[in-house]
Amino acid sequence: MASLIGSYSLSFGLLFSVFIIFFSVRNLRDAEILDKKIISFTFIQFFFVVISFFGLIVSFINSDFSNETVFNHSHTTKPLFYKISGTWGNHEGSLLLWLLVLTLFISIFLLKSNQQPKKYRIFTLLFQQIIIVGFFIFLIKTSSPFNYIFPTPNEGLGLNPILQDPALAIHPPVLYLGYVGSSIIFSSALAAMVTSYVSKEWAKHIKKWVLASWVFLTLGILLGSIWAYYELGWGGFWFWDPVENVSLMPWFALTTLLHCILVLEKKKILTSWAMILSIATFALSMSGTFLVRSGILNSVHTFANDPERGIFILIFLFTLIFLSIFIFIFFHSVKEKLENNFFWLSKETSILVNNWFMMYFLSVVLIGTIYPIFLEVITANKISVGPPFYNKLILPFLIPFLVAMAIGPNLNWVKSDFKDKFYMTMFLIISFLLSALIIKQFDINFLINTILVTSAFFLFFSTSREFFVKKFRNISQNIAHFGFSLLILSILFNNIFSNEVITNLKIGETFKTEKFTINFENIEQEDEKNFKAIIGKFNVQNLDGSSDILNPELRIYNQPNIITSEADIKTNLLTDKFMTMNYVQNQEYFNVRYQVKPFMIWIWVSVILISLGGFLSFFKKI
Amino acid sequence: MKFIHIFLIAAIISNFNFLKADEIKTENKIAKNLRCLICQGQSVYDSDSEFATSLKLVIRNKIQEGLNEEQIYSFLKTKYGEWILYDPVFNRNTYFLWLLPILIFLAGGAIILKKFYIRK
Repeated sequence: MASLIGSYSLSFGLLFSVFIIFFSVRNLRDAEILDKKIISFTFIQFFFVVISFFGLIVSFINSDFSNETVFNHSHTTKPLFYKISGTWGNHEGSLLLWLLVLTLFISIFLLKSNQQPKKYRIFTLLFQQIIIVGFFIFLIKTSSPFNYIFPTPNEGLGLNPILQDPALAIHPPVLYLGYVGSSIIFSSALAAMVTSYVSKEWAKHIKKWVLASWVFLTLGILLGSIWAYYELGWGGFWFWDPVENVSLMPWFALTTLLHCILVLEKKKILTSWAMILSIATFALSMSGTFLVRSGILNSVHTFANDPERGIFILIFLFTLIFLSIFIFIFFHSVKEKLENNFFWLSKETSILVNNWFMMYFLSVVLIGTIYPIFLEVITANKISVGPPFYNKLILPFLIPFLVAMAIGPNLNWVKSDFKDKFYMTMFLIISFLLSALIIKQFDINFLINTILVTSAFFLFFSTSREFFVKKFRNISQNIAHFGFSLLILSILFNNIFSNEVITNLKIGETFKTEKFTINFENIEQEDEKNFKAIIGKFNVQNLDGSSDILNPELRIYNQPNIITSEADIKTNLLTDKFMTMNYVQNQEYFNVRYQVKPFMIWIWVSVILISLGGFLSFFKKI
Repeated sequence: MKFIHIFLIAAIISNFNFLKADEIKTENKIAKNLRCLICQGQSVYDSDSEFATSLKLVIRNKIQEGLNEEQIYSFLKTKYGEWILYDPVFNRNTYFLWLLPILIFLAGGAIILKKFYIRK
């Protein structure tokens, strides 16, 4: 029943797109005031998508297995929370969520943009409707979430257990808010070009959308990372996996755009660049969806593979890109003021430098992700591009980037006298001594590590100082930059100080290293609603006499029948202690992995600080 | 005499341990740079699959045979193909992979420089 309602409201929603487009085009020629009907229709369309989405949620809650999507991704014994999150834990549902956010955002846009020119608003709506219609057709034609199966199966196939997790339950919605937010930026950039509205006013108005998308995208990536850290069982939080890269690319583009908009709202320069970035951000978000959903990528995350759907998204994506290139070439006119704009040591230059490096990082990730696909198609050679590639190409460039980031915000708009030279030099010397002292303790490449840590410390000190010098002026930028320095420092230290062992242990055995002793005490069995758990009890004694009890878990899920390994993590301010155990086939011992990972929590905290910076900026009065 | 004897044994053992620690480090380093071919986006080091476990043994044996890191990579490359290496080799197939980002960086720098000279 709920499925039926959901299915019909999808069609009604599409029907309203026709009305909206018709009245918008008519309204373009007519009056000076925006037709109230258009706004109402947009809301009605949003309403229908909401109904449709709720229809799917209700089907999931009721375990209505006559619905194909529910049958494929749910099970009666699954906890209610994961029944609900199962709604978007699959291809069809997650696209419906995309559509939901698309219609939500355009409604909010219409409400919030009444200070803007009428023509610009209508064009934004029209471009957004093109995207919305595309998604409607995609959903209804190739991936309807409401397909009917007869006879009704008694039991569903279940949701992949590694997706049954609180962080992953909210990861897609948050990430999609970021992705889809970029669609508004895209439509609005096209509309601004068509109506020649690319200006400081436009920059001020679109900045809010850039910030909002950016904050959501950052948090979405963070949630995914945290999930990978405790769920995938190898203790890492970033593996340069294609699906991770795909979310990082729009983030780079959006971060670049954010900085570019900051210039544009002060001065009408870099307009073409801002347009290109607006288009690129959305194109990258769309291709992200395409790459993940089509199954082209070999990756842990690809839980829905279907090349046909991929082709639809690809055609759709190319249509949008051609449309935007067309508009960019024929409508965008560069009328920038040319007098005394740039000086070597100005804030604008430092933002240009930021853009420059960001684009470089983006191109590394983009090329690293798609190059193997092209190579395989052309030469049938399969190559892997993994962490060593990204480390080699990104780390050396991170050094000047961090230094520029430390110096940049201290420069004034247009021209700076660079009066903080003294402090900066001091910081540089202190950072260097500190880093050299730390790195010397470890048996690793001295030169590159010292320089890296030095530049991270340098940014850390200079942003810390700004809190005192600038007080609450520019607090948002300061928090974000400080967070970034903390992020890089934590990642570096996490890499340098990490300590880990992998060993096979039987119950009752002990494993000794110089730094700790692991004692495998016993195992217990527990029966949960949808899985059986084997819980190991380990006692780890450290050198200083303290000891930790760790209880990693093996879960044997009933439907689908999959064994997962749940890490046990003891977190405190300085280190994380991370343990997983794995079942070794036909053997009486378990494979145990124990890791001591310093500053883990600071990686999360710093990303939260970075997004907090963006969040505060949202409320700033210009 | 006895003292020297004990000392020698101790030296050998500690030396042996030292070597072993070093070997484990190399082994882990190599395993981290290899793709587990039967897994979905995991390295040999991170995986507990049978393939990964046996590959770790192969690496250990090769280290004990006295092969260095590069030799082990090229041995595995001929056996399993380039797909196994996370660090793509620099050759005809990958010139663009390695150089294109750098070229983009240089081009970006050139565009920024040009902006200054035109504006001034």
